[in-house]
Order: sequence, then structure tokens, then C-alpha cells
Amino acid sequence: MNDPIPAAPALPPDASDAPALDVVDLVKRYPTGVEALRSVSLEIAPGEFFGLLGPNGAGKSTLIHCATGLAQPTSGSVRIFGNDAIDHYAEARLAVGLAPQDLNLDWFLTVEETLDYHAGYFGMPRKERRERTKELLETFSLVDKKDERTRTLSGGMKRRLVLARALMHHPRLLILDEPTAGVDVELRLELWHYVQEINEQGTTILLTTHYLEEAEQLCDRIAFINAGQIVAKGSSEELAAKYGTSGLEDAYLALVGRSELSRAKVMDVEEAVS
Amino acid sequence: MSRAQIRFFSLVRREVNRFMKIKRQTVGAPLLETFLYISIFGAALGSRIKQLDGIDYVLFITPGLIMMAWAINAFSNNASSILQQKFQRAIDDQLSSPASPLELMLAFSLGGFLRGMLVATITFIVSFFLIGLPITHVFVLAAALFLVGFFFSQLGVLIGVRAEQFDDVSFAQTFILQPLIFLGGVFYSASLLPEPFQTLTEFNPIYYMIGLVRFGFLGHSEVDVGLSLLVLTLATLALAVVNHRMFVSGYKLRA
Repeated sequence: MNDPIPAAPALPPDASDAPALDVVDLVKRYPTGVEALRSVSLEIAPGEFFGLLGPNGAGKSTLIHCATGLAQPTSGSVRIFGNDAIDHYAEARLAVGLAPQDLNLDWFLTVEETLDYHAGYFGMPRKERRERTKELLETFSLVDKKDERTRTLSGGMKRRLVLARALMHHPRLLILDEPTAGVDVELRLELWHYVQEINEQGTTILLTTHYLEEAEQLCDRIAFINAGQIVAKGSSEELAAKYGTSGLEDAYLALVGRSELSRAKVMDVEEAVS
Repeated sequence: MSRAQIRFFSLVRREVNRFMKIKRQTVGAPLLETFLYISIFGAALGSRIKQLDGIDYVLFITPGLIMMAWAINAFSNNASSILQQKFQRAIDDQLSSPASPLELMLAFSLGGFLRGMLVATITFIVSFFLIGLPITHVFVLAAALFLVGFFFSQLGVLIGVRAEQFDDVSFAQTFILQPLIFLGGVFYSASLLPEPFQTLTEFNPIYYMIGLVRFGFLGHSEVDVGLSLLVLTLATLALAVVNHRMFVSGYKLRA
């Protein structure tokens, strides 16, 4: 990505001290009877960089989908900057940008059209859309690809585009659902630099990832979710202390009941064998 | 333009952009198909049949073909567009936007409506110059075509949302829609049919749609125009209500 990163436009003033994301007693039960979320409560402060960690199928994406309108909660409430995100969602949706885990791009659209339509769905006037598109195409090194259809892009380029799309309408809460899954080291580091930058400029970030060292490095606070429940939250130091481990990774392994995989224990075994 | 207008216009623009990007398939092919019908049935059979109900055969069939073009294109566009976006999960971009269920439903409907209108309009213009297709009752024609277009757009939305594979869409189109249209009297007058087929035809809703459009163009109809318009309006509204409820509940769209 190009450097320096252009400054994000000033965020609209937040009249209240409402949390960026306020989830209360959220339940999601599928028609099959599977309970993906079991009375989840979570609060993320404005400007926070928040990590949501858990094994596959723990409920991370379901929680994100409930907050962004892609899943209908069974009960409970979700508020974004004080606005209801379930029934009267217009204001709440304006404040959220979602970069989903899947590269859900429309094959018929070009890169530029993908950004332009997305901004249109959020009501941005044409002039504003054009300026923002140009800015993000440059930021994510997509200028040369702007007229190409999305299906012709490489996986890394698609990932950049998904992130650029999420940022088009200047969201105050950016939700990144495993944004670095399957991307190379270089792109991963570029993405983190950019995300850190916009977080410093005031954008709240909710991140799910399987890369624990990244969560440890980037996030102010982290929540562990397992079997549809938030089982612990705090800073990485607090979580390590709670599980009586030396770091976040070991705390996570303790959570999922796989402490025997701890690097320290593996090294002990290797030393004993040699 | 207000934010809501920009949003709605963008949703519709996306649908139009989709079919215009593959216009050989979405506009060119249906036009060719319609003109093949006119050539084969009109020119070849027309030379033998000459007239039906006192109207030149080629003129008799063209209103039904125009209606059929609008109906099938409106239906297949919307069903395919929605299903394709569901497959890619690209539809999540629209579903997670501030757009209301009504805006989403109408925007998806309009895509097919406009494609059908484009094909039907070109067919009419060419027919006007080639065979002198008249317009006798402009208001009835406008109302009938609008309702037919909107009805099949809604039907396409319904099938697209409910479908889980492309086979579901093609089944509806090939095994339900096309037989109903062909047996609704596009190429013949129902009065020529022996019993029980004549009575059976009266249970086919497409028969009344063709009758309305034929009346608008030629001033000739076998159906009660006022009653047909009323029933078609009610059926279209009912379908729109069902679709709106589907978008509100997120049926097969949201998890």
C-alpha cells in the first residue's frame, strides 16, 4: 500500500458517551435448534481496538452478523453508538463497516464499481463517492486494477478490495472478520499498519483473528468466546493472569482445553527426548 | 437527491448494470427469439392461416409475444440476479446497508422490470415499422404492460429468494411459466380450442394478461378487460406483500 496513508476524514462528533458496540443478552438460535449465541453481552468503547477470539464455530461470525443485519437475533439487543441495530437500524448501519471473512465480491462489477455502489447504498453523493473511491484505490494499491472485474483479481487483491469497500462510507466502527486469513505476510503487515492508523484517528475496531500474536499486539482488550458464550475478557495480560499462563496463546489453549499444545510444554518434551 | 434516493438509485443501478454487462445474453437473445417467433409463426404459418378473429395472424400474435418477452425477461432477470448474489454472498453488501426491506425488494424488482421493458419496447418499435402494429387503447395497454411487468418481476424476486440452486429457477421458468404462457393463447384464439381445453384455458391467468395486452394494441379481446385489470392489480399487490414480508423476515436471505 502507498505511504503515507491519507488522513481519514474527521469523524462526526459523538454527542453521547454511548459505547461503539453494546450487546446485551444476545441469543441466536437457528431453526435446527443449534444455539450459536447464548446470552452474549459485550461492550466496546469508542476508539477501542477490540479483539474477539475463539475457536471455529464459537460464535464470532454470528455475533458480527447479528450486529450488521446479516443474521436475525432470537432475542437480546445490539446498539451501535447508542442506535438500535436490529429493528430501527438505519443510523446504526451507517456507522458500521464490515470486512467479512468471505471474499463476497460481485463478479459482475469492476473494482471501481464495487466501491461506488457500496457508497451509493450508504447514500453518499456522487462527488463524495468519486473522491473517496480515488483515495481508497490509491491507499490499497488498486488504481491499476480499477477497471478489472473482481473475479479476475488475486486473493490478496480481493482482500484489499473488501477492506476498502468496508471503509468507503467512513464507518466509525470497523468490523474485521478474520481479515488476514490466507494472505501473505507482506499484505498482512500492510493491513495492520493501516488499521492501526485509522484506529489512532478515532475509528473503533472489532477484530476476529486466529493469529493470537497479532491480537496481543494490536488490541486494547480481548474477549474469548466459546460455544456461544463470552467466557473471559480483558487485556492480554489480564487474560493470561486469569488462566494462570505466561501469555495470550497459552491462555487461549487453556480456554479450548488444549494446554498440552503450549509451546513451552512442547519444548520441554523435545528437550527430554534429546 | 436525498440519501434515501441515492441509496435506492444505486440499488437499481446495480441491477441494470448487471444485465447491461451481458446484454448479448439478456437483451440480444430474447430479441432474436421474439423475432424468430414472429418470422416462423407469423410469416410461415400466417401465409396459411391468414386471419384470426378478423385480424391478420402476424398482428394477432405480436401483442402476446411482446407481453411474453416482458414477462419472461422480468422473471428470469430477477430470479437469476438474486440467486447469483446469494451464491457469492455479494448480496450481503446490500443487506448490511441502511436500505429498508421495501427499498431492497423494489430495487431487485425494478432490474427485471426495466430489462423486460427494454426488450418489449424494441420489439414494439420494430413491429410498428415492419408490420404496422397499432396501439388502439393506450391507457389499457400501459396499465396492462405495467402490471404484467411488475407481476413477473415480483415472481422472479420470489423464486430468486426461495431458490437454493439454479435448477430451482430453471424449473419454475421451463416447467411452469413457459407452458402457461404458450397455453395462454399467444399463438391462437382460445375460442378455436375444443372442450375441455377451452374451459381449462380460462383457468390460466396468463390468458387474461394476453387478452388485456391484445386489447390495448388491437382493440380485440376475448376477456373482460375491467375485471382482468382488477384481478391482475390485486394479484400483483398480493405478490408484492408476500415479497415484502419475505424481505422483512429475511427468509433465505439472512441467517
